[in-house]
Amino acid sequence: MAAVRTTGEKALNRVAIVSVLIATLIFLAPIYWIVSTSFKPRNLSTTIPPTVVFTPEISPFVKLFTKRSQLRSAPTPEEYEAAPWWERLVFDGGEKVVRSGRGEVQLSGYPSRFMNSLIVAITSTVLAVGMGTFTAYGFSRFKVKGEGDLLFFILSTRMLPPVVVAIPMFLMYRAVGLNDTHWGLIILYTAFNLSFSVWLMKGFIDEIPKEYEEAALVDGYTRMEAFFKIVIPEAATGIAATAVFCFITAWNEYAFALIMTNRRAQTAPPFIPSQVGSGLPDWTVIASGTFLFLLPVAIFTFLLRNHLLRGMSFGAIRK
Amino acid sequence: MATAAAITTLDPKSRAASRGMSDLAIRNLFIIPTIIFLIVFNIFPLMYSLGYSFTDFRASSPAPANFVGLQNYRELLNDDFIWTNFAITAKYVIVSVIGQVIVGFGVALLLNRDIPFKGLITTLLLLPMMLSMAVVGLFWKLLYDPSFGIINYALGLGTFEWLSNPDMALYAVAITDIWMWSPFVMLLSLAGLSAVPKHLYEAAAIDRAGSLYTFFRITLPLVAPILMIAIIFRTMEAFKTFDLAYILTSQPTTEVISIRLYKMAFQEWQTGRSCALAYIVLIMVLAITNIYVKYLNKVKER
Amino acid sequence: MSRKLTGMLAGFALTLASGTSVFAQDKELTIFWAEWDPANYLQELVNIYEAETGVKVTVETTPWSDFQTKAFTEFNAKGSAYDMVVGDSQWIGAASEAGHYVDMTEFFNKHDLTKVMAPATVKYYSEYPAASGKYWSIPAEGDAVGWSYRKDWFEDPKEMEAFKAKYGYDLAPPATWAQMRDIAEFFHRPDDKRYGIAIYTDNSYDGLVMGVENAIFSYGGELGDYGTYKVDGIINSDQNVKALEMYRELYGFTPPGWAKTFFVENNQAITENLAAMSMNYFAFFPALVNEASNPNAKVTGFFANPAGPGGEQFAALGGQGISVISYSENKEESMKFLEWFIKDETQKKWAELGGYTASAAVLESPEFQNATPYNKAFYETMFKVKDFWATPEYAELLIQMNQRVYPYITAGEGTAKEVLDALANDWNETFKKYNRVQQ
Repeated sequence: MAAVRTTGEKALNRVAIVSVLIATLIFLAPIYWIVSTSFKPRNLSTTIPPTVVFTPEISPFVKLFTKRSQLRSAPTPEEYEAAPWWERLVFDGGEKVVRSGRGEVQLSGYPSRFMNSLIVAITSTVLAVGMGTFTAYGFSRFKVKGEGDLLFFILSTRMLPPVVVAIPMFLMYRAVGLNDTHWGLIILYTAFNLSFSVWLMKGFIDEIPKEYEEAALVDGYTRMEAFFKIVIPEAATGIAATAVFCFITAWNEYAFALIMTNRRAQTAPPFIPSQVGSGLPDWTVIASGTFLFLLPVAIFTFLLRNHLLRGMSFGAIRK
Repeated sequence: MATAAAITTLDPKSRAASRGMSDLAIRNLFIIPTIIFLIVFNIFPLMYSLGYSFTDFRASSPAPANFVGLQNYRELLNDDFIWTNFAITAKYVIVSVIGQVIVGFGVALLLNRDIPFKGLITTLLLLPMMLSMAVVGLFWKLLYDPSFGIINYALGLGTFEWLSNPDMALYAVAITDIWMWSPFVMLLSLAGLSAVPKHLYEAAAIDRAGSLYTFFRITLPLVAPILMIAIIFRTMEAFKTFDLAYILTSQPTTEVISIRLYKMAFQEWQTGRSCALAYIVLIMVLAITNIYVKYLNKVKER
Repeated sequence: MSRKLTGMLAGFALTLASGTSVFAQDKELTIFWAEWDPANYLQELVNIYEAETGVKVTVETTPWSDFQTKAFTEFNAKGSAYDMVVGDSQWIGAASEAGHYVDMTEFFNKHDLTKVMAPATVKYYSEYPAASGKYWSIPAEGDAVGWSYRKDWFEDPKEMEAFKAKYGYDLAPPATWAQMRDIAEFFHRPDDKRYGIAIYTDNSYDGLVMGVENAIFSYGGELGDYGTYKVDGIINSDQNVKALEMYRELYGFTPPGWAKTFFVENNQAITENLAAMSMNYFAFFPALVNEASNPNAKVTGFFANPAGPGGEQFAALGGQGISVISYSENKEESMKFLEWFIKDETQKKWAELGGYTASAAVLESPEFQNATPYNKAFYETMFKVKDFWATPEYAELLIQMNQRVYPYITAGEGTAKEVLDALANDWNETFKKYNRVQQ
């Protein structure tokens, strides 16, 4: 009887593996399309059937980082010869690099916006997860008057369509000089993510048995020490998962970045789709911008994957 | 046991707490800054909007705002167009959240088994939700294109119109949303699933419980709380959805409430009226979430 | 863990502190525009100004889809982030009545700009209210709607023969909307994945309305009386009903999925071999003559918007004028820049770089007209353009027009007459609401 069950199990597992593979392929097909397009020559970007075999090119990335405009007439052979390799790639694409009055190559908005995205997303994630963990612990372990209402209040701050608070927020930021600053966006994204972070962390901390800390308190730890030495390590999985979500939200936020910031502090999401150029989008450039922008989040998630997956070790003594 | 009881009831004279900060101080230190922060950056602008919602204020005009009482609310609630927008939004929320739960939870169940390269596969599956909505909208519009889109090519659908077909467009937007956010539900479900103690399954196996029985009696109840959190957040986000539908289509059948709100606020510049509409939306979301949270607490108590 | 976090936080706080102080630079002007090639040309042009005067000018851009929102959000908050804006012609009423733009009337008269710039551009980009002699911007980027077509399809002898046999006249770029309909029908072959015509249908901003205007204006119709705000009998006139019916008919010859299309899609219709003819702004034609972006560049031709049944020929206006923003802290410096901008040699250079100058002298010069395959059509068009309402409520009028017209064009709901009657009603209500109608 037991043997039958195991064979059944094995077959079931094989079905599961195949299904997971199929699901993964479906989910990744659009991503594959984006990544491969970011290395394609422009004329292969929208072919049907999609071009799978091609000689990868670096030109989309060169275009991504430079400010360009349509060539009005072909470059002279001398101009072409004198140009560095990357500028030739731009010439080959029927465009020229825009230079400043002093002849310096003008960078596109991408690199500076990418840096802004890093600064804003990392700082706001640290703040949101940090504050969220503290607050979640406070709610989880202590009696708080009107706890349900307060928690609901925290959640409710995420319910309003962002469009609505945009105008008052903008006026308020203007008054205190936070518009077009990194801190302005950091505070905004921290506020967005905090409610999520509190709720998620409370779920994780609730699952950590009180007995752990109580034992530590009996051993002479202070409550603070118990929190940092017992609770935080136990909640690492939750912290990692929450950090991933907060980072993703802050990294990709579009509407407020567009309204609240201009050239100094603007992040990349409003920039990437804006490269329409002169009426024909260069999909290879949009794809390469998307691909590069995906890398940091993907790497961050990949580094934390074990935390994300390890599960909660304390599950075993769950009440 | 007595010590534990003393601590949890916040007795300031308890032995451990008397060294270092008191529990009360810690509790306040941990909770109050967050509350203040949220009040300043969320409630203050909200109050501002509430004030505007009773006026005919237009942010595009230098004319001072006139108090009009409940007129904005009255007119909006009597506007058939707005109710159509709400109906579209409701349909969208239902389709997209149910889709995400089925796909996300389903994949999580599969992944919770003995799968090789589990870590890698999970990370890869999370990729869609790591993209920006605007970029996803842009690329999916291309993928859905009847003439040079890859979806029709891959599925052999010829020139099937996804986004130009009034009956299909909302589902097409929902499919994109499901693609993007199922991974979110999957990840939370996975965390919940891996917390289910193995010995419960072993016990069930000894009792020769059927797999359906095990699923409904052991797995689902234990995963329910975290799954509910995922559903709450996805419902709220779907209710507010804007970027995707706005970029993908412009059918009247996909004009969800946020698009109407955006047009009112930023194209027509009817600031006062749009604030009123925003409050109507907020009250609806609050009501729905309240029901969810009540249910969540009930689930947790079991 | 916590130590790591604090370390990271401190590191980023430092980056921020040092990052924000770098940007304090004086004598810098910022011009706000949408993200497209002409903005790059303008950047090249102002580089010359920097070389001459040492004043750094930056052209700031944002995607077209958010341009209006972002500009007005900034105006409404009285922001000084931008000194000048190259704003859409319809904005001028809203922006001038609200005091966002600096009055340029004196500047206009001093430099006699009504003569320097093409008359239509002055009328629609600069003057508000209509015929008031008050000016709010300098015509900067002229634009209007024209058409591109597939020369190789049109000149194929077999096609020409078959066309002549079927319609009784020679296949050539259409002179009238009726001919355009015939040609669209002729080339519409869904089985071969070839379609007749590409038109604007996007209703999220002004795409669809611009397209419909092209038909209405050439059919001899108007949207209303811009001086008296009378719309009844004008927007729902017989010509307009016919024009709208024609637009609906043309929609039947568009490629599949043509229900949210604007300049990007219409250019793609040519590059992806989808349509025989395609409507688009002149500003987007450079991409079509560039072989790197259009594989069919050599076989792409251009023509001006055809005439209606009465022989009248007009086109919908695009393009922008450059205005000084009232909240700028560099208004004087901006005025100095504009004095440089309107000089003949600057305008000539502007055209050479790829900008669509509005300067009458440059437009009329043979160098300009022969510079590209479409410049001549552009020159012709710029003297017969008409535009949408420019009142501060234009956005509401636009949304109402979209709401009424879109379901008719794309789904055939109602009749053209019903749609336009309902629209006249909507517009009347709106004008009443804002006390525009004197009764």
